[in-house]
Amino acid sequence: MSGGDGFPPFISAQLHYLMNHFPHSIKVDKVWSGSKYSGNLDRFTLLIPYCLDTIKWDILYNAEFPFAAPDVIFGPEDEDFHPFLLKGDEGGGEGGLYAIKNSLCNWNNKDPSRLLALIKDLRDQYTAYQRKRVGEVDDERVKFEISTMFAREGIEMHMSSGVEKVQSEEVKFAVPLMDMSINKMVVGCHWRHEQKIYLQVVYPVNRKYMSAPSAPRLKLMSTPELKYMFSIDDVKLPTWLDGMCMAEYLPHLEESLERQVSEAVTLIDVRRRFIEALAPLLGRPVETDSVFYRKTMFFVTSGAFSFMVQLFLSTQFPKQQPAMMLISSMYFHTSGIPIKSPLLSDYPWSPRWDTSQMAERIFEFVADESLNFRKFCSEGHLPH
Amino acid sequence: MEDPQLHKIAISGPTLASMIQRFSSSLGDVDGFLFGHVTQITPSNLSDDSSSSDSDSQLVATITGFFCSGQNLSFYDSLGRVNSLRVPSPNNHQHHNLIGWFSGRRQSPLRPSLREFSVTNSLSKTPQFRFSVKTSSQSPTNQTLAPSVFILFTTPLTDQLIHTHQYRAYQLHASNKLSSSASSPSFHAKSLDVVNIGPAFRGHYDSFSPNCALPLLNCDTRNSCSAMNVESLTAQREKISDQKQLDSCAEGFLVETLSLLMGPEASSYTGAVEDLYEKMLAKIDILARLVETSSDKVLELENHNRKLRYKVARSSGLE
Repeated sequence: MSGGDGFPPFISAQLHYLMNHFPHSIKVDKVWSGSKYSGNLDRFTLLIPYCLDTIKWDILYNAEFPFAAPDVIFGPEDEDFHPFLLKGDEGGGEGGLYAIKNSLCNWNNKDPSRLLALIKDLRDQYTAYQRKRVGEVDDERVKFEISTMFAREGIEMHMSSGVEKVQSEEVKFAVPLMDMSINKMVVGCHWRHEQKIYLQVVYPVNRKYMSAPSAPRLKLMSTPELKYMFSIDDVKLPTWLDGMCMAEYLPHLEESLERQVSEAVTLIDVRRRFIEALAPLLGRPVETDSVFYRKTMFFVTSGAFSFMVQLFLSTQFPKQQPAMMLISSMYFHTSGIPIKSPLLSDYPWSPRWDTSQMAERIFEFVADESLNFRKFCSEGHLPH
Repeated sequence: MEDPQLHKIAISGPTLASMIQRFSSSLGDVDGFLFGHVTQITPSNLSDDSSSSDSDSQLVATITGFFCSGQNLSFYDSLGRVNSLRVPSPNNHQHHNLIGWFSGRRQSPLRPSLREFSVTNSLSKTPQFRFSVKTSSQSPTNQTLAPSVFILFTTPLTDQLIHTHQYRAYQLHASNKLSSSASSPSFHAKSLDVVNIGPAFRGHYDSFSPNCALPLLNCDTRNSCSAMNVESLTAQREKISDQKQLDSCAEGFLVETLSLLMGPEASSYTGAVEDLYEKMLAKIDILARLVETSSDKVLELENHNRKLRYKVARSSGLE
């Protein structure tokens, strides 16, 4: 009766297609059943990324009539969002609206891509709706910023009207930075979604009587998988000078980011060469992250004692030394988990050493540490 | 033309309870129509302030009946466009207007959906469904309203022991937002007054008007002065059919014999009346059994249909 996940087969197929093909990473938050007896799941809450945040939409199919088109309930903040009432000239485009209507009218339950198309089109309408709301904000600076950033593509806007007070009204922009594909820069990259860095800019909406506009709140954000190669937490944002606007601020930021991202890409190679340099000393690695070279594991024997050495390399390598963990292959806890050393990250290291010297120093340290580790293991634990 | 806002929506306890019962006993999501009337009430103002104007009068929608389709998408398509042919045609009975619709869906947020908004919008935009507003003195005014009431029933998202159903009432209303120049319709939550028996609700019962759809039967038409040839042939025919209906209910008991219940001989006729009651009870019993067996059959067919639907869904899902 159900597609293995508790949903009837059609609904299951459409949901899976949506999860696998949506351009952003989308999540199913909760699932429910609307049937009295069958218990077939037919409704779920989607967490859809929007403007560096997520919006919660509920999708309601009907397990009693699985051929029928689903219904959508938008978030509690968006009760004024009525896609069918938006006009074509309000930014969303008549085409998208027509597609939604057409898709709902002639719902084809056998086409697994239908739900994806519906959510995508509705999200486009939502983008247009938010853009319109932000455009109506009576704030000189916001109006000016919109006019100067008009040419930039892919900016998402959000108007959050504070629940309790008018004073807490804010306009949020998500500005995609750098017109380049990071995915293409990484060899053997397996990222499913296009990696991007965004600048989140939050303007408090100023009432007319406020004289000097304060600096907006700025925050750099990125798609989650990017952190394996480049951590935006390490980026220091340029300061926002008084009277500055986005059009002045963004070019400097983008320039410095572009430099840092390409540096991060070259660092992948530095890590790879370091791991390769370890191989003659520690033996061929048992396991290595072969895209970003952030993690590697060696099998080491020292006399009759053998263990694994796991190395963690940060994106800041070689500035930051690798963290290390020794894992016994002979001594286990009573629960069956192998005995591990604490994370070792305090040993002689200099980023100025060349790669072969780094490898040699690591080897020496492992040789010394193996004695300690052997003692640590044998204390109270019998080998298996 | 813009419709005025409703002050509140009133519903009798039993009507609300039976709506919830229909929803909770249904297989899946349901929808249906709401019937009732909208009354203009001028609240009694104790002050001598003469500034009270027309705007002080309040509109109260009273739901007196409903029809539940037992499923959803019963009178509209998946885009929320109403199919007028499936909406009960407006009748002239001023207490039984179509004033809106309701939707019941399990385990979903208590907020109107995309489709529910469209259905309400479409229903309130159809001119033929407009009905007239009454004043408290029961006379219709020339003010008309569109069926814009929407009641949403859901069950809570998390299992709760005591609180099993929730509802919220809305009116779709076009209002001029400060921010936008054009007026666009939006849902306005309205308080739903559950009218119950008790001193607090006396006012409701004072203004109660009977809501009976049965035609008035002319009692014992044979004895009226049919010699007067003023009636037309059709009126005669109607009389005859009325009489037949009456006769079938009377079980051979003549109206004339009722007069014997008066006076000293009355006691000897009580037996005849009791006999009549017994016959009627037997008839009701037969009818009840008929209803029982037929609803049994309906349930059986519904279950069969459900199984077929599941079967189709399963087999074509495996293609």
